[in-house]
Amino acid sequence: MERLIGMMLQTVQNYNPPPPITNNSVPLWTHISDALQQSVYRVLSLFIAVLPGILAVFVALTLFTLIGMGMSLLLRRGLAFVKFDERLNRGNPEWTPSSSPTMLIARGAFWGCVLLGLVIGVSAFDASYSTGTPLPISLLPYLTKVVGAILVMIAGTVIARFLARSVLIGAVNAQLQYARFLSLGVKWLVLVLTAAMVLDHLEVGGKIVELAFGILFGGIVLTLALAVGLGSRDLVSRSLEGRAEPRPERVPPPEVVPKPVEPIRHETIRHF
Amino acid sequence: MATANTVTNDQGAATAVRAELLIFVAPMPPEQLESILGNLAAEFRAEDLLVATANDPTGTAHPEIRVMPVQPTNAVWPIAAVDFVNAVHAAKENEAKAVLLLGPGADSLSPAALRALVNSVSESKSDLAVPHYSLPVNAGLVNSAIIYPLTRALFASRVRYPLSIDMAMSLRMAERLAGTAQKFVNQNQPDAIVWPVSEAMVAGLSIDEVDVGTRDLPQPAEPNINAILSLVTGSLFADIEAKAAFWQRPRRLLPEHRSFSPMPAADGAVDIAPMVDSFRLAFTNLQEIWGLVLAPVSLLGLKRLSVVEPAAFRMPETLWARVVFDFLVAYRLRTINRGHLMGALIPLYLAWVAGHLNVVGSGTDAEIHVEAVAAAFESEKQYIVSRWRWPDRFNS
Repeated sequence: MERLIGMMLQTVQNYNPPPPITNNSVPLWTHISDALQQSVYRVLSLFIAVLPGILAVFVALTLFTLIGMGMSLLLRRGLAFVKFDERLNRGNPEWTPSSSPTMLIARGAFWGCVLLGLVIGVSAFDASYSTGTPLPISLLPYLTKVVGAILVMIAGTVIARFLARSVLIGAVNAQLQYARFLSLGVKWLVLVLTAAMVLDHLEVGGKIVELAFGILFGGIVLTLALAVGLGSRDLVSRSLEGRAEPRPERVPPPEVVPKPVEPIRHETIRHF
Repeated sequence: MATANTVTNDQGAATAVRAELLIFVAPMPPEQLESILGNLAAEFRAEDLLVATANDPTGTAHPEIRVMPVQPTNAVWPIAAVDFVNAVHAAKENEAKAVLLLGPGADSLSPAALRALVNSVSESKSDLAVPHYSLPVNAGLVNSAIIYPLTRALFASRVRYPLSIDMAMSLRMAERLAGTAQKFVNQNQPDAIVWPVSEAMVAGLSIDEVDVGTRDLPQPAEPNINAILSLVTGSLFADIEAKAAFWQRPRRLLPEHRSFSPMPAADGAVDIAPMVDSFRLAFTNLQEIWGLVLAPVSLLGLKRLSVVEPAAFRMPETLWARVVFDFLVAYRLRTINRGHLMGALIPLYLAWVAGHLNVVGSGTDAEIHVEAVAAAFESEKQYIVSRWRWPDRFNS
């Protein structure tokens, strides 16, 4: 790598830019050759200017990945030594993720180090890249924002799926006919919220996003409210009628009003 | 936080006495305790007994029976891990040779049933004596559908009520159970369910089943099926997961030599339509979740079942066995959140209940159908062993 960089620097140093064209008798190919040489010179200059930054990104990333691997290993062994999983389960017996807490912490530490390496590498790249080109410079802060936005999007998607399943199973077990609709509504509520957060984080759209989010969120909530309200219309009306009707003051004796023989209802089955 | 040693040292030193039998009585209303003490006084010598209970024994009509106070716990159903720990601690402290645990509603057990349970252990016939209840056909359905068939197929035990709330046990069995229960208490789960039958099978201790006739079984404080099915089935699945090394080995089920009291009939017909509707609604909406858990063949079977009329509705035994085994594997693999998994099992369980009640309504003896279900679980054991060892991700 050093050799390659040395050769490039030498090429640039030894390069003599062609004199300005003053004579019209110079052949065409000379003009083309000069133009090409100038282009190569500019590209090489740019590349050499960027190279330390790219190198810094790779070095930072590699270094922090190695540090992350070491930290992960240390955390796994240390937490296993102090029986962290067992201690944590005392306070939270309903631990449901597929990995143990120790593994999750170790992985979190590893990926945190990788992310830190990436951020430091990008910062180093930013510092070393001083060509003054406006476009890449303006894109650089986006790298960190994009990473944050991706994390928000992943978290939002996971939460949306979890809540959608919870609502779906709960609604089905409550025998609500619109269970799927309710579940989809909750899922899209969270997804719309996530999308708005992501766009806001990326500073894309400005007030249009806020406005669109408000309209969409309100629309979904209104739709859900209407669906639930209309679906439960009978239930509500029965409940209201039950409250409105006055109770009879005198209960007729059993021999006057024979008690109807009712089958055992679902609720009377004893599961245990 | 509940502690294991609820009998303080001072109390223990002051009241430590020799007793042949320690009887742990779960928290219950005073009139039930009075009735139990009356039954005990009628069947046992008072000097052989020591009753450990959190109930207030003052004003009892049987002052000759020694009562030892223990710290009350929150658990009322079933017997909690901390109760096992307390009972065994009291038994060892008072040099008891056997322990009798009586759950809420044990006043409905006859004195002869109490005597039979204790005799089974004290005469060294067994280390664990569990009652065989005679329940109506519309009671104890989770036991008939899941707990009994799974315990029989995996642990090779014919005990009909593995989650019994009364039991007698020898001191070594009690110590074994207390050890398991202590782990739960240490993990801040004092109300966890302990499975005595599987513990005894793993430890190689003998089990006896005693016919006690009818009993008023207490119902959970929270009557919501969603909560209690998740609690009990989740606990059973966790116990099976913990003992996987034991049940994967082939074991022969011992033949049954005795007959028990027949099940009393249910009063009137049972309306199964809501359960069938619940299953159909779930089949329409939970395909995505069931698809992650169940094998394609099981899904096909459920699809066929979803179009069956309520009058002819019946879950095939093999299909039910595979469904439960698939859920067991998904529980182990954490294919989906365990709370979601147990929630997705409820409509399938209700479908089994509807089919079972239909079968019973058609004139078949309920016990015969339950035995057929258990036999299907046994014949499908290879399926669960294979999937447990090589869990293919056919649906992911």
